[in-house]
Amino acid sequence: MPLALALSPFLVLGFGALLIMLAEAFGSRRGGMALGSTIVLFATGLTAAGLWMYGLENLKGLEAVAPWLLLDRFTLFFQMLLCLGSALAALTAGGYLPEHELDRGEFYALLLFATFGAMMVSASGDLLTLFLGLETMSLGAYAMTAFRKASPRATEGALKYFLLGSFAAAILLYGFALLYGATGHTDLAGISKVLRAGAVKDPMVVTSLVLILVGLVFKVSAVPFHAWTPDAYEGAPTPATTYMAVVVKAGAFAMMLRILLTAFGDAQSMSWSAGWPPVLAGIAVLTMTVANLVAGRQESVKRMLAYSSIAHAGYLLVGVVATMRAPQQAGASVLFYLLGYTVSTAGAFAALVLCGSRGRETVSYEDLAGIGRRHPAVALPLAFFALSLAGIPPTVGFFAKWFVFRAAVESGFYVLTIVAFLNSVLGAYYYIRVLVYMYMREPAVGAPVAVPMRSGYVVAAVILSAVMVIVLGVAPSDTLDVAVAAALSPG
Amino acid sequence: MTNALMTLFPPDAFTLVAVILGMPLLGALINGIWGKRLGNNAVRLMALTAIGVSFVAALLSFLALDTLSHARKDEHVRLVWTAWEWMTTSGKDSAPIGIDVRFSIDALSGVMMLVVTGVGFLIHLYATSYMEHDEGFARFFAYLNLFVFSMLVLILGDNLPLLFVGWEGVGLCSYLLIGFWYQKAENAAAGKKAFLANRIGDFGLICAMFLIAYYCGSLDWKGIADHASNLVSSHEAAQVHVWPLGGGQYTGVLSFLQPKSPFTITAATAVGLALLLGCTGKSAQIPLYVWLPDAMAGPTPVSALIHAATMVTAGIYLVCRMSFVFVLSPFVMTMVACIGAATALFAATIALVQNDIKKVLAYSTVSQLGFMFLGVGVGAFTAGFFHVFTHAFFKACLFLGAGSVIHAMHARIHDGDLSQDLRKMGGLRKYMPLTHWTFLGATAAIIGLPGTSGFFSKDEILFKAFINRSEYHPALKGTLERLHAFQPPTWLGPVLYGVGVAAATMTAFYMCRLYFRTFWGEFNGWKVGTPSEVAAQEHGEHGHKDHGNDHLQIVAGPAPKESPWPMTVPLVILAAFSVFAGFLNPGFHIFALPPMEHWLEPVFKDVMESGTIAVRAGGEHLEFPLAAGGVGAFLVGTSVAYWMYIAQKRKPADAIAAAFPRLHRLMLEKWRIDELYEATVLAAVDSLAETAAAFDQWIVDGILAKVSSAVVVALGAALRVLQNGVVHVYAAMMVVGLTSIGWFFVVPHPEAVVTETAGDYVIVAGPGMGYGYRWDADGNGRPDTETFSDQATVRVHLDLGKSQVVRLEVKNAFGFTAGREISLSRPKPEPTLELGSLGGQIAPMGRQNGGQN
Amino acid sequence: MTLNADYESPRRSEANATPKLDERIGHPMTLLPTYAPVFLIMAVAAALAGLFFILASVLGKKNPTPEKMIPFECGSESSGGNHVKLSVKFYLTAILFVVFDIETVFIYPWAVQFRSLGALGLASMGTFLAVIAVALVYIWKKGALEWET
Repeated sequence: MPLALALSPFLVLGFGALLIMLAEAFGSRRGGMALGSTIVLFATGLTAAGLWMYGLENLKGLEAVAPWLLLDRFTLFFQMLLCLGSALAALTAGGYLPEHELDRGEFYALLLFATFGAMMVSASGDLLTLFLGLETMSLGAYAMTAFRKASPRATEGALKYFLLGSFAAAILLYGFALLYGATGHTDLAGISKVLRAGAVKDPMVVTSLVLILVGLVFKVSAVPFHAWTPDAYEGAPTPATTYMAVVVKAGAFAMMLRILLTAFGDAQSMSWSAGWPPVLAGIAVLTMTVANLVAGRQESVKRMLAYSSIAHAGYLLVGVVATMRAPQQAGASVLFYLLGYTVSTAGAFAALVLCGSRGRETVSYEDLAGIGRRHPAVALPLAFFALSLAGIPPTVGFFAKWFVFRAAVESGFYVLTIVAFLNSVLGAYYYIRVLVYMYMREPAVGAPVAVPMRSGYVVAAVILSAVMVIVLGVAPSDTLDVAVAAALSPG
Repeated sequence: MTNALMTLFPPDAFTLVAVILGMPLLGALINGIWGKRLGNNAVRLMALTAIGVSFVAALLSFLALDTLSHARKDEHVRLVWTAWEWMTTSGKDSAPIGIDVRFSIDALSGVMMLVVTGVGFLIHLYATSYMEHDEGFARFFAYLNLFVFSMLVLILGDNLPLLFVGWEGVGLCSYLLIGFWYQKAENAAAGKKAFLANRIGDFGLICAMFLIAYYCGSLDWKGIADHASNLVSSHEAAQVHVWPLGGGQYTGVLSFLQPKSPFTITAATAVGLALLLGCTGKSAQIPLYVWLPDAMAGPTPVSALIHAATMVTAGIYLVCRMSFVFVLSPFVMTMVACIGAATALFAATIALVQNDIKKVLAYSTVSQLGFMFLGVGVGAFTAGFFHVFTHAFFKACLFLGAGSVIHAMHARIHDGDLSQDLRKMGGLRKYMPLTHWTFLGATAAIIGLPGTSGFFSKDEILFKAFINRSEYHPALKGTLERLHAFQPPTWLGPVLYGVGVAAATMTAFYMCRLYFRTFWGEFNGWKVGTPSEVAAQEHGEHGHKDHGNDHLQIVAGPAPKESPWPMTVPLVILAAFSVFAGFLNPGFHIFALPPMEHWLEPVFKDVMESGTIAVRAGGEHLEFPLAAGGVGAFLVGTSVAYWMYIAQKRKPADAIAAAFPRLHRLMLEKWRIDELYEATVLAAVDSLAETAAAFDQWIVDGILAKVSSAVVVALGAALRVLQNGVVHVYAAMMVVGLTSIGWFFVVPHPEAVVTETAGDYVIVAGPGMGYGYRWDADGNGRPDTETFSDQATVRVHLDLGKSQVVRLEVKNAFGFTAGREISLSRPKPEPTLELGSLGGQIAPMGRQNGGQN
Repeated sequence: MTLNADYESPRRSEANATPKLDERIGHPMTLLPTYAPVFLIMAVAAALAGLFFILASVLGKKNPTPEKMIPFECGSESSGGNHVKLSVKFYLTAILFVVFDIETVFIYPWAVQFRSLGALGLASMGTFLAVIAVALVYIWKKGALEWET
């Protein structure tokens, strides 16, 4: 029974998802799907929160599912985070899908099952469960991307995402296979033990690390494995974009931290001369720089936000690199950043959805021109989330960056921090540009004028994110303590 | 009742603070968001309730504090409430510094809190009538409530970052309220000026914060006080190298910049100067005072609340709050006192000749703030702070009185500047008796009529200025005196006293001038007609809307009217306090209340007992002789003003102005400091900007832009080729990435870190996946072992003047090898460079050598 | 994977027996001896296939005429494009078949080990089948199994 309790977030979400799926098939009304999904997701998140408070050390029999599933505080943190992100996406979908005549219930079932996969990724301590979870998550995301069947853009984006994603998954799987071949283990702890015993000198292990790294950085969409991101984000319906930007990214970082810190947490794999940290550092620099440079040149806000999510992956990678020297602090900073990024990005997409309506979706900067004067109530939240993404106090974006940069500085990665800092300054440019268009421009004569939509669901998503952005931005300390408790230690 | 209070709100979890802070914030939010929809009555109710409840809560807190301090005799008691943990940062050696959102009430902040909420409430009440017909009524009260909230955060915040939040908040509100009537360009410009001057000050405060975090390892008041001794010691660690910058050395072509001995100051001096810069910005002292007179462009209640009673005293509050830091550096204390005295005198000279009623009061405020600086600068923190307290009442009363006058004048004169012109007023005591009597009371206080509040506070400052002297902490005295560190000269005290008396004399003169010209003599605003004339006039005037000011003097109008009760009641209360509040300080045990000095004593006890404030021998006996200066100043200033403006009907004044036309003009134009700033600072900035613009145009636009646009176009083209939507190009990019990562792991990276202690070199090779190492540590050119092993560390010992090459070879998991040579050399010791009298030598450590193979 | 905890690959035990890891680092292709036969078979197969192709094209007689070059379709004129589009229903059915077919892959080993897996095994398989059943109900209700729509 304690085991069932420990697995309860999975059980709640699993049963909830099945119910939602059946309800969609048998029910006649569509209206309640978003609400139902949100309730299921919040119930899951609250279950995880309850477990956090109850204390996992009070539960017995967890070893029965270990090492396939590791039920620790890291898992619980991600369960809460992923449910929050999914719930925000579901709420956004509740307004967006009916407005744009895409209201088919499969979306919610896909969303819930994909979240289930993401939760499994964060909980898995074994390469097999990890891969299963990853594929569950990815397949759902692929399908959601292609949800707008009539749109060639959506199909194109989804196909690219699917093809390259399969390619990356194959590479990752190849890496797993080699690792298994070299160590005889598929569980991360076992692999770590064998590597520490000396197997790290095996060329197969090194090769597997290369392949696994490629698979991981593809999933977090870091340069040069990012090319699919703008196409997929732009083509997908906005709630699906939210989902990819928020949940899939968080799941990918959970996977990255699990694999790198647990399996490759030994001194030689974590070496600054020839281990994974310098590789990730290089990728982080490349990612931040390229993404911020290209983002500034976009005309579509959705594409800009896609590049912004790539850039944020770069900042997060800085934190992952710093786990090499300060695992607790840097790990916690990554988790906190993910939380801040989740609420800011989901909020920004929800606010963007709110700015447009059927046939008049706001996609480009031009669409936003002058909306600050015409509809201040919908422009204000978008401006607010843009400021948070730019990292301006008193929003959570500021503290998220502050913690990551501080962890990097205290680990001695000065150059990396300076590059990240300069990039965040560069990044402010295109976020502020949103404000400039909204408040200081007028739409061109004859151009279509965006009309805000009305939806309680989207407003709820906006308010929820805004509250979290401001609360975490004013009082980040308690949440940071939670993140510290959840951070993984290597090996 | 106090017992119930103490049980409900224990001193270490004093949640009542939440009410004090929360109500104004709530008011600001509600009025700001729904104000327009709610209507003026609801806005008025909300604003008054917010500040009123806050004031009541503040009173209760004060009562609780009083009870507590009686219970714990002579202790520095605080009521503390920690809202939440905010963040942690780190100081020296990564020691964590926790920063909490914590508020504390002690005697100092308690008094200030009462002033802010109490005077704030009266001014709010006043403003409900004064601003009644303004379009931005709700916006005004939202800003005003927000200001009170920010000011309370500034006062009650228990650490520097929180104070800074409030500091910025009041700056923002001040900016918004100065430019409240933003339609007028000059108001907006005044707002901008205030903003810029304050930014310069804020820079100082931020610097101080960093230095304190570094040296004291703490940012809350108690922590800074406990570790303040780190700021000053004879060790290198507590010295800030001013030149060469940061304690480096200039070598090579720059060696001419290297001084014989470096110029260092103690950290306490650095912190003090940085804080002082912040304070001069906020409290309008030389050289950053220029914004305050212009800030009078805002509505008059704003001038009363923000630019007279509360915000501008934040600088003095900060000096008192950080007194334990300031007293550590006699140089900084002397600077504070001198700046204060100079400002007091200088602003008073300008106020002598101004004709705008609000301008006179503005310069008077600057001058009075100078007095406060003088007080705290000579170590008379209680006296300086007491002047803050009394000044809040009489200056608020004067401003509100002026507002009342302007309100009356505005009935007929619609031009903002003319309705404030002294030359248009006169004889108003007949028409506005309440305003007149209250104004008279406040004037009596500011000019130091014996018995009024201003007399006591000013007198105390002058007395302390004469007898006090800043010294180094006794523990360091000997060391620092040997180094010829700064000592305040002995003649400084009498000079400061003299300057203070001169400024006080001028104060008495210009305030009386203001009073006489406003309320005595003949009314010059317009012709006051009989009611029947007025009625006829009104009829005729309907035709033209334009109230041309020139013919208004001819046209008869109704007599100026006294203001309505919401404006006069605050005046009466404030005037009463102005006159009688002085008895709080000097220890007249008339009331059951303990005197102010005893109240604040625990706050400054440690500072006063630290031995840094010396008293001139026999100084205690000089209190009554020295009071003669203050009384004399009052008598001279008042009688000269009476003689000039009442007895001789302004003739001497005109004669003097005619005799020294250029001096008069110069003073009228405020010594042309604005112009001076424009010619020097702004011109310098402008020419810099022009140079930059020219550079921008010729170099950046001309050459760099072409190059960079070419680069961007090329990059864009390259990126477009890559981001072209063709999926196999994307895949190719991934393959390139994969190959690069693979390449990184296939190529071995021989890296090593060398550390040295006394000739023993330890070389540690960087770890890597599957790395094996082979060393040539003996320098014979051949590897020491045939095979590669796990040995990642070698030790080499070198004698003085020897050198050796160590070769490291690395073989990675794929069997590839690479090597590098590390040349070690141990030079013979050179004669060490003396780093000045306090200098030590930083030992070179962990130097990394290495060359490519 | 703990199921494999007692499993040691031949290479691994060999490495444990001879802890001189450095020697192995000198020979990165230690895999080769183990997999040599596999590679050999693959090489031989490829060589043979290639050989037949080459021999056929070199040795065979070629005598092309226009009639011989037209696509052969049972003697009648070929018509239409050479890419025939099948109805998407075929794919759908095929996919569904695969999904439910895989199910049996799980059931067989479970059935073989039924006794040793015990009640937990039964419960797991029950859950698994229940989920599959829900999926079946879902696609049925959605109309995916109906050929004529």
